Amino acid sequence: MKKYNKITPEGTKDLLFEECLVHRHIEKTLSSVFSLHGFNEVITPGIEYYDVFNSDCSGISQEVMYKMTDNHGRLMVMRPDSTMPIARLTATRLHGLPKPIRLYYTQPIYRNNPSLTGRSDETIQTGIELLGAQGIKADLEVLVTAIEAISKCVPNFRFELGHAGFFRVLSQQLSISDSLREDIRCAIESKNYTLLNSLLDTLGDSKEVTALKTLPKLFGGEEVFNKAAKYFTDEKTSDMLEYLHKLYKSLMQLGLEDKIIVDLGLVQRNDYYTNIVFSAYAEECGDAILLGGRYDNLLESFDSPMPAIGFAINVDAIVKILLSQNRDYSVKPADILVHGETGFEIKALNYSSNFINQGIKCEMSVFETKEQAVDYAKIRGIKQIAVVGNNIKKINLE
Amino acid sequence: MKPLRIALTKGRLEKDTVSLFEKMGFDCSAVKNKGRKLILPIGENQFEVILAKAADVITYVEHGVCDLGVVGKDTIMEHGSNFYEVLNLGFGKCKFALAGPKGKDFFNGYSAKTIATKYPNVTRNYFESKAMDVRVIKIEGSVELAPLLGLSDGIVDIVETGTTLKENGLEVIEYLCDISARLIVNSVSLKLKKNEIENLVELMEKAKEDK
Repeated sequence: MKKYNKITPEGTKDLLFEECLVHRHIEKTLSSVFSLHGFNEVITPGIEYYDVFNSDCSGISQEVMYKMTDNHGRLMVMRPDSTMPIARLTATRLHGLPKPIRLYYTQPIYRNNPSLTGRSDETIQTGIELLGAQGIKADLEVLVTAIEAISKCVPNFRFELGHAGFFRVLSQQLSISDSLREDIRCAIESKNYTLLNSLLDTLGDSKEVTALKTLPKLFGGEEVFNKAAKYFTDEKTSDMLEYLHKLYKSLMQLGLEDKIIVDLGLVQRNDYYTNIVFSAYAEECGDAILLGGRYDNLLESFDSPMPAIGFAINVDAIVKILLSQNRDYSVKPADILVHGETGFEIKALNYSSNFINQGIKCEMSVFETKEQAVDYAKIRGIKQIAVVGNNIKKINLE
Repeated sequence: MKPLRIALTKGRLEKDTVSLFEKMGFDCSAVKNKGRKLILPIGENQFEVILAKAADVITYVEHGVCDLGVVGKDTIMEHGSNFYEVLNLGFGKCKFALAGPKGKDFFNGYSAKTIATKYPNVTRNYFESKAMDVRVIKIEGSVELAPLLGLSDGIVDIVETGTTLKENGLEVIEYLCDISARLIVNSVSLKLKKNEIENLVELMEKAKEDK
């Protein structure tokens, strides 16, 4: 029988040395941004009941979830997303807390991707959720925190703003079947103009049809708002547009002119987004490195309706970008190697704790003789050896 | 700024795309005399072309190592999913069809049918939409052989003229959909290089119109 005891499952990998250093560095940087903004950390279980993710608005299809059963035969999943567990815990354990509630997390999510596509099944995400608050102040706080977080890691980013409401409102005004609505959504999502036009041509000519046809083309800079104003004339969509423009102009005050883009055709997101949606991109990465939005209906499915907004950053993608930038992230050797002669093991260990307490990186020699210790130090690039016997002798190897 | 990188499906779609580029006024001599090179400049380095198998075009674009790609709708339907499909290029036209032995009523009877195909995902989706249980067998070449040898009741394949089917005693039972070459774009590239890509798409659309 073949044993798989020397490989890791497809879509996973071991992280070694500099990968870990960069991972921890990014996690630390981002955690400190979030906690300085008043967000408090939570950790949710890696395994949850399937039902948590099985609500109508989860947008996570069952084939991407890693599933198992507990010892009562109940269906469990490896956490495929962090927002839903946080919605669950807010609706239950934090129910009585005064609002708003500010939470952040750093934890892996698991998705069962199709094999041989080179995608990770395990991805570390970090992000925030601002629950129980709505309005422009809450939205701006989260947007600005997202921008601050991303710019600390990847200065050369682009930040995109959209609104999940345009498609919803426009398509609701047309009386069409759910399956046609989904086809139209897919055509907008993939910016497939040919298909979109042929689908919409069957619906005759109306304001909504024209607006939907234009939706995937409405992306770019501030000019998008002027272009869109022509098509979004009813009260609901023009209010959304005006609101989005207001957010855009507010973000401009941060001096990010060339970094902020708008896409009114963002319809691909998890179905729980109801309102503004946003993402961040970097040149070196083919996928978004940050995804977020407002999800005002999600908490209702946990019987505790409240507005909420948040985002998740793909830490793995950022680590990959940083490691590809030729900066030196190599792991430094120890500053000193302490070699205790036979009979002086405890003295040597005590001696090494002096260095360690001062923050000096110190390795213990496990060798019999001093010569072996010197050879080892040379191979590892350790510049100094302390030999602990009756006396303490230091050898410099430079 | 790096030049845009376009992945082309080797073979006929590559030739059709190159003639489209020439109509747009780009110098394509590097691609025409490519030798064994796989990355080639177009025009005065305005963009770079890479040559790949159809399914790989999608992989390169999905991962963002190529900004754009030219690939058949058949490959997109089989391998989907995560990119923008911005232009129907109009060439490479054919159809997906369900075919079976001539004169036999495929849909008759209640026993589950077996289908041989190079496109298992397309086949599965098609029969799922008909709520029909079928057994799908993946075949790598000349799918027409499968029903002739008695391996399957029918095939799902791309059909251009139908000559191969006819010569082997098969006929089209039903057309699934039309197929042609599409221009696909990585979703991040479209956002980050909007003007460059939109200009190129516009030029291609124009060149495609005035034949």
